[in-house]
Amino acid sequence: MDLRDSFRNATRAIFAAKMRSFLTMLGIIIGIAAVVMLMGVGNGTKKSILSRMQSSGSGNLYLTAGARSNVLMGGGGPGGPGERSGVSSGAKITEEDLAYIEARVTYSIVVSPTNQTNITIKNGDTTMSGTGIFATPTYFEVDNVTIADGRMISTSDIDNRTRNVVIGATVQTTLFPNESAVGQPIRINGASYNVVGVATAKGETVGSSVDTAIVLPFSDGEKSFGVVHNVVQRTTIKCVDPTQSSAVTTEITDILTRKHKKVDFSIQDVAAMTALLTSSMTTLTTLLAAIGGLSLLVGGIGIMNIMLVSVTERTREIGIRKALGARERDILVQFLIESSLLSIAGGALGIVISVLGSDFIVSRFTTTSITGSSILLAVGFSIAVGVFFGVYPARTAARLKPVDALRFE
Amino acid sequence: MNLIEFNDIRKTYTIGTVTIDALAGVSFDIGEHEFVAIMGPSGSGKSTLMHILGCLDTPTSGAYRLEDHDVSELRSNDLAHIRNRDIGFVFQAYNLLPHLSALENVLLPCTYSTHIMSGRDEKVRAHELMERVGLKDRMYNRPVEMSGGEQQRVAIARALMMNPPVILADEPTGNLNSKGAREILDIMKELHADGKTIIYVTHDAIIGAQAERVIRIQDGRVVADERN
Repeated sequence: MDLRDSFRNATRAIFAAKMRSFLTMLGIIIGIAAVVMLMGVGNGTKKSILSRMQSSGSGNLYLTAGARSNVLMGGGGPGGPGERSGVSSGAKITEEDLAYIEARVTYSIVVSPTNQTNITIKNGDTTMSGTGIFATPTYFEVDNVTIADGRMISTSDIDNRTRNVVIGATVQTTLFPNESAVGQPIRINGASYNVVGVATAKGETVGSSVDTAIVLPFSDGEKSFGVVHNVVQRTTIKCVDPTQSSAVTTEITDILTRKHKKVDFSIQDVAAMTALLTSSMTTLTTLLAAIGGLSLLVGGIGIMNIMLVSVTERTREIGIRKALGARERDILVQFLIESSLLSIAGGALGIVISVLGSDFIVSRFTTTSITGSSILLAVGFSIAVGVFFGVYPARTAARLKPVDALRFE
Repeated sequence: MNLIEFNDIRKTYTIGTVTIDALAGVSFDIGEHEFVAIMGPSGSGKSTLMHILGCLDTPTSGAYRLEDHDVSELRSNDLAHIRNRDIGFVFQAYNLLPHLSALENVLLPCTYSTHIMSGRDEKVRAHELMERVGLKDRMYNRPVEMSGGEQQRVAIARALMMNPPVILADEPTGNLNSKGAREILDIMKELHADGKTIIYVTHDAIIGAQAERVIRIQDGRVVADERN
């Protein structure tokens, strides 16, 4: 029996019982749609997290006071899980510490010390709350912040303790909806400042966004906002070669441990965090796909069930075909093609539904990303389900003795 | 030369603890171009005999030679090949596939054929056969749209499709009225005149009397073998 005949027979049999075929396919449709969509959500989430991590600077290290054993973020240095001392023990990072590190580190790095505090920003009658970031000129390079209008905070702003500030894009649109803020006065916590630049909008990043922040000269912090003298809350260290981030982490840990005589600080490596997040998102995606796969399994069992019913119903047909010369293989192939077609058609419909469904999800909830590989996986899976769950009924049919099949009423 | 040689064919069924000898040692020969009726009351074993003759079933013991092949030794694929090429079946219940047209039913054996006949040759032959059984106008009808007699004629055309030497008919007129039965018998007589070997099973003495030779079966044994 040639394959074309087999396909014609199979499509005939499928169309002969339209409702039943559709209900059988429904299991596969739902299963494939679930797998593709859940994988899409998983991949999409992973992508958006990664792009956020990257926009906050790949190859960056975060140096903060207090030894932390933050297992999830992979930082913590050699402190180990037992020593959870925290900032309260009086541990701190000072500007001298940073100078000490910069003098001794052998890799090429850029250091950006920052302090942060919540502030109220006011222009005329419009008020908004935001973040005050006290930073040095290196902040812009290290945190990937570019200037849309005006200029950055300069070294002379730091040295001269000026009241020049750079505002975030949201601050610009909220407080100066109709004009450029550059050159305009602005009030921060009641004190008067002068806007010299506007940062380019960055969208969401990990941690606080520069969009709703105002960047002030680092030296202004303790003078006007009560930031503790000579303390750096958070230092971002950019490795010029991002691939060296782990080696730089080790070296800085050594240098600072020697100076402090103990590990009372922690260094978080964005690259390591990214790697960890990527791997945990992959695990999550796999888990989601597996949950979808369960419904595919149920769909497969549905196919097997209906094929068994079909074999019983068509026992006489099988007998007739055998009497006319059909071999076991011919009958086997006939039923296998039928179950595979059901499953493949279900898979195709499932993919269509998942593409439509993921558009719906994107527009309402979260990003999804349906990749070619997840579609390939779905197609492969639906063929496999059709064949796997079709084999048993098809073999049952093929092995019927012709005389028994013919006698069947 | 003998086309069929049955030598001490036995068929035993075991149902629970009871053993039933459907065939208790049957021997006969059927030559080429014979026209044979196998007769017997129901339960005599004639259907079992028919199934073994048609390679639809295998004997428990005994030797069956068909066209000089020892059929009792063959495996299922070879038996399928013999059913396709050497035997044309006609059943009491016609056994047409209901979702196929008459023509498609006639063409069905080609699907399982290892012969190399082009698709067009097959169709030409199927048309000729439909014409021969007087159903030229019913080619594209489905079985449900046809009378019993017409369906049985389609079945005969199907049996002839692969041009087998033997036509095996199991109560071919059993479901038909006397007119339909006569038509079927006439066709079979024509086929015999054309050189086919015809073997049919019946319990009807009038139908049986039409054959040249009658083999009578009772309780799984041959009780008479007469030529008319």
